Amino acid sequence: MNVIEAAGLTKSYGKDTTLVEALKNVSFSIPQGEFVAIVGASGSGKSTLLHLLGGLDRPSGGTVRIDGEDLYALKEKERAVFRRRKIGFIFQSYNLIPVLNVEENIMLPLLLDHRQPDKEYIRDLIDTLGLDQRRKHLPSELSGGQQQRVAIGRALAYRPAIVLADEPTGNLDSANGREVLELLKLAVKQFHQTVVVISHDMNVAAEADRVIRMQDGKLLSDTRGGIVQ
Amino acid sequence: MKSYGALAGRYLKQQRRRTILTIVGIILSVALISALATMGQSMKDNMVEQTIYQDGAYHIGFGPATPEQYEKLSGNVLLDEVGAFRQGKLTEIRNTFQVQLIEATKTSFDLLPIHLQEGRLPQTPDEAVVEEWVLPNLAEQPKLGGTVELVKPNGDKHTYKIVGILKNQKYSHSEGKSKGYTFMADPGAKSDATLMAMATFKKGVDISQHLPEFQEMDKSAFFTNTRLLALKGESADKSLNTALLVIFGILIALVVLSTIAVIYNAFHIAVLERMRHFGLLRTIGATPSQIRKLVFREAGVLAAIGIPIGLVVGYGALWLVLWGMTSAGFRILSLDEFHLQLHAWIMIGSVVVGLLAVFLAAWLPARKASRVSPVDAVKGAGSIVRETYKRVRIPSLLNMMGVEGNMASKNIRRNRSKFRITAFSIVVSVMLFIVFHYFTQESLRMTVDNSEDSQVAFQIRQSLNRYDDNGNPIKMDLKDALSEDTIAQIEGMTGVKAVYRRYMMPNPAVILPSEKVDPNFTKLMGPIFEPRDYEGVPSQLVYTNLMLFDDARFKEAEKYLIAGTADPKKLAEDNAVLIVQNVKTMVKSKKKKIEMPIARLKVGDTLNLLMDYEFDPKVVRQVKVGGILSQSPFSPTLQENTLAAFGAKPTFVKLLKDVHPTFAPYGTTLMGVDVAVQDGASDEPIRQALKTIVAQMPNTQLIDIAQEQKESRQFNLQMQIFVYGFLIVIGLIGSLNIINTVQTNLLLRRRELGLLQAVGMTMGQLRRMASLEGVWFGVIGSFWGLLLGTGLSYLLYLQLNGMQGMPFRFPWLGAVISCGFALAVGLLSVQGPLRRMKKENLIEELREEV
Repeated sequence: MNVIEAAGLTKSYGKDTTLVEALKNVSFSIPQGEFVAIVGASGSGKSTLLHLLGGLDRPSGGTVRIDGEDLYALKEKERAVFRRRKIGFIFQSYNLIPVLNVEENIMLPLLLDHRQPDKEYIRDLIDTLGLDQRRKHLPSELSGGQQQRVAIGRALAYRPAIVLADEPTGNLDSANGREVLELLKLAVKQFHQTVVVISHDMNVAAEADRVIRMQDGKLLSDTRGGIVQ
Repeated sequence: MKSYGALAGRYLKQQRRRTILTIVGIILSVALISALATMGQSMKDNMVEQTIYQDGAYHIGFGPATPEQYEKLSGNVLLDEVGAFRQGKLTEIRNTFQVQLIEATKTSFDLLPIHLQEGRLPQTPDEAVVEEWVLPNLAEQPKLGGTVELVKPNGDKHTYKIVGILKNQKYSHSEGKSKGYTFMADPGAKSDATLMAMATFKKGVDISQHLPEFQEMDKSAFFTNTRLLALKGESADKSLNTALLVIFGILIALVVLSTIAVIYNAFHIAVLERMRHFGLLRTIGATPSQIRKLVFREAGVLAAIGIPIGLVVGYGALWLVLWGMTSAGFRILSLDEFHLQLHAWIMIGSVVVGLLAVFLAAWLPARKASRVSPVDAVKGAGSIVRETYKRVRIPSLLNMMGVEGNMASKNIRRNRSKFRITAFSIVVSVMLFIVFHYFTQESLRMTVDNSEDSQVAFQIRQSLNRYDDNGNPIKMDLKDALSEDTIAQIEGMTGVKAVYRRYMMPNPAVILPSEKVDPNFTKLMGPIFEPRDYEGVPSQLVYTNLMLFDDARFKEAEKYLIAGTADPKKLAEDNAVLIVQNVKTMVKSKKKKIEMPIARLKVGDTLNLLMDYEFDPKVVRQVKVGGILSQSPFSPTLQENTLAAFGAKPTFVKLLKDVHPTFAPYGTTLMGVDVAVQDGASDEPIRQALKTIVAQMPNTQLIDIAQEQKESRQFNLQMQIFVYGFLIVIGLIGSLNIINTVQTNLLLRRRELGLLQAVGMTMGQLRRMASLEGVWFGVIGSFWGLLLGTGLSYLLYLQLNGMQGMPFRFPWLGAVISCGFALAVGLLSVQGPLRRMKKENLIEELREEV
């Protein structure tokens, strides 16, 4: 079953002479439990694609279906709630809330939903992320790798259907980068989640089940296990 | 953390400085609002008290009234207290003084303005109370508990026991007529004297609605306590209350506006700084309304802390000031007791207004935060706010200040909305100060007696009207009341500020060419002066009040000189006088007093004085206008419809030479002196010394108005303390506002400033640039603040003018103070952040925020 279905996605900025087409008629689908890497040069449109998949932006044309739900047919508020429950985000620059400690940052999506977090699950998650000693630390007291692990924890806290990661290893050294990748793969395996990662890093692509290459806003190739689809 | 809402608290704690600044802003504003309302209400309460003190507490009355009418009033369900009294006949004392004994029922004692100094009020028809000053003058020279023979209202003589002593009343003493009261048991009893009846309405009765039915009872005899009813908003004319409402409404609205500005600024900037965090929350699924709630929650926390403290501070500060004054021996607003009343409506109103202000201020920033695009937040990893730089074509003056000025000008104009916020808060601050300054100064002018007479505590007067036992006037020798030596002796006493000589005032008329009469005066007042053709020039006989000034009085006149000289020697040499050509007249068509000039005279003009137009219409004397005063230094500071002229003795001698004795029977004879006492000086030694002096001089009497003078001086001082207290708080709010905006404006650009340093801008250049920005905001804010402030002041003026006519005085002082302050605060407030920046590591600033 496909968790993500993108059909005829286009996104353009500006007008007339300054018109920039960031995405040009992109269509693909991703089944549940797949670890997908989207790779491409700067300006190839991969970040735009990720934002559209996550419902952060609005496409100029086309549709995105997550778990069968047309993301852009939802109202702003419904989309926010949908995002909260179904999609986990991980960014290159971690983007943690500086006034909250590790545990609170991880629980934040649940709290936004007025839900009492499943304490045991959160503890498991924190242990899995190797942050049990840092539970009460503020982001400013953590290393880059630790901060990114917190971001992963936050993305997984709601057990979302899909996790979208934008250059998750971009700011990390190779050891930390590998660790983050391992955690993401673990998520796919353990919780049967779908992970979409954008990266420059060929190591990331090498770890993925499937690699989508982009160029000039278009899909260049789509390989699964080394076989071009 | 139980809920995402706790984020609000975290942010507030993290941004401690701004949180405190914002809370201080809320505290000051709520304090000001509640104090302003309490003060306004207290002032109204006190005006009511004062009116009751002066005019009595009754609402309506009938005079004369029949005993039947009195009975009818007593039985009326709408009325609360009903009293009656009979005006007595006069008891002559040594042909110099008089006592008027009034018979009054027990309730009348409450309804009439009767003020006991000691003892009690009469309870039987054999008891009486009289004013203090008259006691030693009575034949029996009774003390409290003594007896005295007075004329009863029916004309018979009767012996009364003095059971109480009334406070001296200024005019009763100088007129030599004391009031006395005795008890009237039965208003229905037959008597020669006419009965007067008075009553108050029960609480809650709509007085203005019921007035006509009482008026119908006896139209000609019906009267009301007009001033009291007007203050209570119960008279037919409700304009006073409306005006008060509008004035305090404008003032409170301004305070609220500035509160909104302070809080809005604080929130707006706090939100701008955290745009990324809000965007982030959005990416992880926070809905816009959740973000809005977060901002409102912060506002709620600030309000919950600030508003109660503000109420306590406002009330506490007022209480403290009043307590301080009472401890220092002041009588607040001339009242025996001053209770600062906690009005529930003021408390609730302040809370509601404060809450509204806070949430209104948080509204726009909250909306802005909720509308942040999650993509922008995650995309622009570095910059906090994405700005659109707008190219401006109009060159700025700042460009002349070198590269720093150029940068400053670009910085100021780069972001329209941020520019507007900063300028807005300065504009509001400047406007607030100007309007408050204007209002307070004008109300001081209206309520405070600023004439030199307010310092006069004692008067020594010749008794002029002396009669023999048959009631025939005794011919008096004309001689000065006091010798120059005695005056010098009084002047030398410790605590004496000045001794002003007092002469009789002749009232001649100036034959003023019609073109010199102010046309506006004629237009408003109509042709009130008698026309006269003088030496072929169409002229008018303008009433003139001519007064002989001694050197001490001329010295006071100097303060009000607007043209010419007030030097007595020069005036005497030139045969010239000082004039006041401004008057304050009741204009019937406008139903209020209006201040305006009566004539258009210039220094050097010749005045043709028709000295005595009744007996000797040919005697015309000439004097020159030597100087023009804006007002008289002595009360009345402005005449009703009369030109005031002040001359020195040599000029007077010439003027009065050969005029008919009926015109100026006493010539330039010294009639007495007014003794002004220094502020804070003890008047008791002076009183004793003056008593000794007066005791040695026959035909003179000492008039003691020290107590009254002290109270009115205290009142003036209190008014000033309140006024300047308010102005200081207003200045604080304004400064806080400016500091808050200018500083955050700078702190928000920390990274950018770090970058400028990195590319080679020295700290000095940075300081110059930032200082120029601060000052320039001050300049722009001052300009608009001045414009709007003056406009609003004019609006207030229109209201004040509706109560008491006066010319619009441009609020120069307030404008200068506030604009100077805005510039200085603008300049100084950038120094703090710059100093901090200097200490910090350049790399730290350049690094991205997490």
